[in-house]
Amino acid sequence: MRGAYLSYAAKRLTQAIVVILLTYVFTFVVVSILPGDPITNVLRDPQNGFTEDEIKAIVAAQGLDQPIPVQLWTSLSHFVTGDLGLSMRSNRPVTTLIAEVLPSTLILASAAFVIALLLAVTIGYGTQFLPKRFGQGLLRGLPSLFLSVPNFVIGLALIHIFGFQLGLFRVIAPNSFWATLFAAVALGIPVSARIAEVLIANLDNESEQEYAAVARGRGLGQMRLFAKHLLKPSSLPVVTVIALAIGELLGGSLITETVFGRTGIGSLVQRSVSTQDLPVLQAVVSLAAVVFVLVNLIADLVYPLLDPRVKLIGGPKYRPTTADDSSTATSQAVTS
Amino acid sequence: MASHDRLTTNTLTRAELVAPVPLRPIPLLRVNGLSVSYGPNEVVTNAEFELGRGESLALIGESGSGKSTIARAVLRLLPSSGHATGRVAFDGQEVLGISERGFRPLRGRAIGFVPQDPAHALNPVRTIGAQAHEAAALLDEPDRAVRKRLILETFAEVGLDNARRVYDSYPHQLSGGMLQRVLIGLAILPRPTLLVADEPTSALDVTIQKRILDLLTRLQHDLKISLLLITHDLAIAAERANALVVLKDGIIQEAGRTASVFAAPASAYARKLRADVPALNPDRYAALRDTGIRALKTGAGATPKIKVSAVTKTFTVDGKTLTAVDDLSFTVPAGTTHALVGESGSGKTTAVRLLLGLEQPDTGTISVADEQITGRSPDELRSVWRHLQLVYQNPFTSLDPTWTVEHLVREPLDRFGIGTRKERDERVREALADVGLGEHLLSRKPQALSGGQRQRVAIARSLVLKPDVIVLDEPTSALDVSVQADIVEVLLSLQVNLGLTYVFVSHDLALVRQLAHTVSVIQRGRIVEHGAVTEIFDNPRQPYTRSLLASIPSGVAGAAHLPHPRLRQLATAD
Repeated sequence: MRGAYLSYAAKRLTQAIVVILLTYVFTFVVVSILPGDPITNVLRDPQNGFTEDEIKAIVAAQGLDQPIPVQLWTSLSHFVTGDLGLSMRSNRPVTTLIAEVLPSTLILASAAFVIALLLAVTIGYGTQFLPKRFGQGLLRGLPSLFLSVPNFVIGLALIHIFGFQLGLFRVIAPNSFWATLFAAVALGIPVSARIAEVLIANLDNESEQEYAAVARGRGLGQMRLFAKHLLKPSSLPVVTVIALAIGELLGGSLITETVFGRTGIGSLVQRSVSTQDLPVLQAVVSLAAVVFVLVNLIADLVYPLLDPRVKLIGGPKYRPTTADDSSTATSQAVTS
Repeated sequence: MASHDRLTTNTLTRAELVAPVPLRPIPLLRVNGLSVSYGPNEVVTNAEFELGRGESLALIGESGSGKSTIARAVLRLLPSSGHATGRVAFDGQEVLGISERGFRPLRGRAIGFVPQDPAHALNPVRTIGAQAHEAAALLDEPDRAVRKRLILETFAEVGLDNARRVYDSYPHQLSGGMLQRVLIGLAILPRPTLLVADEPTSALDVTIQKRILDLLTRLQHDLKISLLLITHDLAIAAERANALVVLKDGIIQEAGRTASVFAAPASAYARKLRADVPALNPDRYAALRDTGIRALKTGAGATPKIKVSAVTKTFTVDGKTLTAVDDLSFTVPAGTTHALVGESGSGKTTAVRLLLGLEQPDTGTISVADEQITGRSPDELRSVWRHLQLVYQNPFTSLDPTWTVEHLVREPLDRFGIGTRKERDERVREALADVGLGEHLLSRKPQALSGGQRQRVAIARSLVLKPDVIVLDEPTSALDVSVQADIVEVLLSLQVNLGLTYVFVSHDLALVRQLAHTVSVIQRGRIVEHGAVTEIFDNPRQPYTRSLLASIPSGVAGAAHLPHPRLRQLATAD
């Protein structure tokens, strides 16, 4: 079993690396065949005041006079070693620029993710055990409400209420604890809605299963029934949703950063797009690809750990035991 | 076991169950005026019964009779739409009206629950051990290692050979019989005084059914547990319970000591239930069954309709070769029924697939009505399939839920392009009439039909092409005993009227005894014994056949042999 998992994990990891490299190549090719030449545009910008000879020297030094495949190869080999080149505007290494803003975005996104998860699970628990007269129906409507409100509206509302009215945080200090927390809430709410929708549907299904009744008959209370029995099988499909929700976190963080006035990947992208700073954009796209691929890799690796029934491709298959006595129920168990 | 049973019944009070006598000890479970409704529909009306300490009581009825609902109401596990009124006293304490918080200490500790379908009664993503610890937590034992030892001991007690492996397994890695043992183990682990078993064996094979029931009976005596057994099989109930409660449409028809209810049922419904149990009435359809044979003997002579000779089929699973069918040979004379009997995994299903040409054998030949099945492509087999039809095991999954009855029955005619539109309409009505279904059902969808009606539709669907041979793959195993009796009757009269030849696949020997003429007993893909049904059943030579026969519930506590002369007498008295 362990061997099967490791060989499965190795296979998935290899696939992930291939996908990242292909994404890099794809972005590179798309940028190369786009009309216009941003690089020489920048160099020929009269404000920079390069002479023709200097431009030629720079182009030669950067290898920009080489054919596209050779440029791609050079760029790719640099990328693999972690060298993302120099920003065309600030002339500083792209890695440094990203390293400056990445922690802020990471903190925001991971806080938002934790909030989204907590919120979704709390809503899920409520829909199962909150008595009808205490507004279970209201709780079930919450995810749709969360989804239909854009996150910048939530952000502005939070700033207005907690920043200006209650004075919990100061809008001009966007990196303070409270400011970060509310930014994360604004970002996490729509993400939690997606997770909660799938979670509620699965909890409803699981709590009707015979094993839930049997477990209650065994004397389990609500909390333990939820935590030990219902949550794990219900979160299997949620894992896939979470992997997709991370994308939403990335996209949403650009907007949230703007609304809350934080510096982060969002502000970096914004600046780079407006100045056509290609190396930075190429790096950010590759970074997004890496995050996506990693998250999906984690989802793929977690899934077999959560669900023992998953058959791992490449490893030895599970076989139901036929010792002692067998029955039709076995085949039902295997196929269902 | 037999002497043990008698001993218990003799020492217990003979007082009438329904009429309480003053100064009697408080019964363990007492149900008074229990009514249960789902929304506006009342499914149980005014149920009353008592279960004494160490005693066993069976609730009997068809599906929809409310027997499981009563069990769930006693366990307080009704779905949220269910509402129960009345009184349920456990050990003298009212438990229906109290809060969930007040009832929870009784769950597991005092009242254990063994569910119907073991395959879905354990959490599929947690190990057996993790779930066993929930039951062990009800014991007042602080040390986890001790609790684990108790779990392993209990697993051994319920007959699980490799307790340690079971402990580490996930549910899907164990067979249905093993899972039911696990569930019984988890239920008895906290040593409850009452065990509620809701059709604990209806999802299992006959031989495993017997072992599970034996286990329950033994535990009940060893641990002095009271057993509330829910079943649709009167024979099982009579064999395992001291008292019976017969239910129909949520209303108790009859209740009393097993001996009296079983020997002389007062209500018409209880009499019908008893008459419908194949094991108790082996010759119920003898007249119908033998008409076919007599007609055959006076007719053109017994030419075999089906010839299977030396057929072998192997599959390769994970690099291992598995022989599913090994040197299988049998012939079926026209107009008779041949039964293929064996446990799950014995190769019955593969044999059916080979017979229908859905699978080609490695060696050997099969011919049906002088047409070769083996070595032909599906296109070439189309003409054969007009004469060779299949009725599938489960009518709840074999009919497209979005189609009407008319569409379902008509489809084969459309597929084979038979007759004009008008002739097809005519033929559909004819086939429905043959299986005893009225024309008013033509526009219904399967969802609006009962299980018995669905299986009739499935039979009509196979009849509509006027086939000579019908393969019946456990056609009644998904149905209640009383519905099963109806279907058997339909099948037998069709055989007499239309001269059909049946191959009947089943693990239920009592049913085979009722309707088949010849039988092949299959074990691990090989025929271990074959011949006329009466001969095999009266003089089984192979131990495997004997064990299959012994697992038929007889309705008599401790009895292992059939047919019981007195029971036969009782049955024919109806």
